[in-house]
Amino acid sequence: MAEQWSGFSYVVTNLARFIRPEEITFSGVNSTPPMLACLLAKRAYDWDFIYINVAGGVDPTVEKVPLSSSDPALANGSASIFSNEDFYDLCTRGRMDLTFLGAAQIDGEGNVNNSAIGDWHKPKVRLPGGGGGAVMLPTARRACTWRTEHSTRTLVDKLHFLTSWGGMSGVVTPIAVFVKRDGRLALESWHPEVELEEVRERTGFSFDASQAAPTAPPTEAERAALAAIDPDGRFEQDAAIKLH
Amino acid sequence: MSSGYISKDKRIPLADLAAKITDGASVALGGSFLHRGPFALVRELIRQGRRDLEIVKQSPGYDIDILCRAGVASKARAGIVAMEGNFGLAPYYRKAVQDGALTLEEHACASLTAGLRAAAFGVPFQPCGGLQGSAFPKLNEWQQIDDPYGSGQSVFVIPAIRPDYAVIHASEVDAAGNVRVYGTAHWDRIMSRAADKVLVVAERCVDTQTFVDAPETTLIPYFMVEAVSICPRGAWPGSNHPDYDIDYPAVEAYLEQGDDVLQRHLDSAPEVDADTQRSMAHG
Repeated sequence: MAEQWSGFSYVVTNLARFIRPEEITFSGVNSTPPMLACLLAKRAYDWDFIYINVAGGVDPTVEKVPLSSSDPALANGSASIFSNEDFYDLCTRGRMDLTFLGAAQIDGEGNVNNSAIGDWHKPKVRLPGGGGGAVMLPTARRACTWRTEHSTRTLVDKLHFLTSWGGMSGVVTPIAVFVKRDGRLALESWHPEVELEEVRERTGFSFDASQAAPTAPPTEAERAALAAIDPDGRFEQDAAIKLH
Repeated sequence: MSSGYISKDKRIPLADLAAKITDGASVALGGSFLHRGPFALVRELIRQGRRDLEIVKQSPGYDIDILCRAGVASKARAGIVAMEGNFGLAPYYRKAVQDGALTLEEHACASLTAGLRAAAFGVPFQPCGGLQGSAFPKLNEWQQIDDPYGSGQSVFVIPAIRPDYAVIHASEVDAAGNVRVYGTAHWDRIMSRAADKVLVVAERCVDTQTFVDAPETTLIPYFMVEAVSICPRGAWPGSNHPDYDIDYPAVEAYLEQGDDVLQRHLDSAPEVDADTQRSMAHG
């Protein structure tokens, strides 16, 4: 089993599973897992989607995946450069089908804090900030996020600061996949090596698990795509994701 | 006096370019994270001991971090700040905010763009999509107004942001200051229209004819540019597509702690190298 789902492959592959055929999907800055998820989906699935990214790429052909998710290499092979202003405008006019946005803290409705731990004005930890979140989360058709740590520190009942409202339609951690249902995050599936009870203990908000089941293992195509994208394991090493 | 910059040769040394930015100025910096930032000029501001700068940029990283480390920046308007790649948070920026040494006006990237657009459009404010439910409007005292044309929608309006300077790192310029950028221009175009004045650092100088041959590739026309400096590898330790990639070991070395790390980093930058100085002198 351990060979099927490392924490890293679980996060990247399950993010990719949110991508749908023909839709416009966006990956941004500081967003390595979704960048890899989009590249994985392009390789692993037998349907096509429109992949745009913060480097300006539109359906790029990425030979060597850059460490930085905003690297201009992500526009290689692109027939146009879609500017940073353009993708916000695309989103606010209702044409962003799926965007991936980072989150430091997530609450039970899928809202996000990316700004500060503690009081915003006197932060215990100043976080990076939400980037596009406050504009994109309420305006994108769907948005997904990820955490490389599944804990009551990151999945919280109450955010320290409300950077972005609107609610993620999908959240992936190393041990769980949540989807938005009736305005709340509901458990969709969990890592087969982890007990459902552990997911509950490590989650700061209450959630419905009535429709959840262990996550289906990676397909051969997903596994092969991830291996091709990260042949020397550099991304997996940098991500340093632990299950427990 | 003209509103434009008519001189056909605007090339000046990097030190003179940096000297135009005075203490307390508001400066918009081009590029994004470790990509095509005007980092040679940022370092020159540190060498010249500038103080109290306000930095305006949707996604600063190395630039705001090193300016905080050197005590140059005291204010920032930004959307997301990190070293990015696999480097995580910007440690000296983070410390400056936590210690109160840097006053932050936190934006969504698009709200900062809206403020710049207001300045570029010559209007006092600009509507910005989204922002519903976020704590930013209250934090920044952004007003929400109803559509005066009766759609029933309402929208947040962002006050104009007009930096004193926009500083752009370009792939190519000509002597007069026409500006070309390869790859994504990030927010450089709107910054150049919003700012009071535009300064440019460029990898190289090319003939004006190459701009005439492809005018649609010109990001900023010469008359908007006050001065340019030619500085090969000036976006180091970041990338300048397609000329060079991020120098990861140099960023790692910069991130080490220690009193002499900053000085060592400044001393190892390409703009202090003798060959670079020679090419800068020859434009």
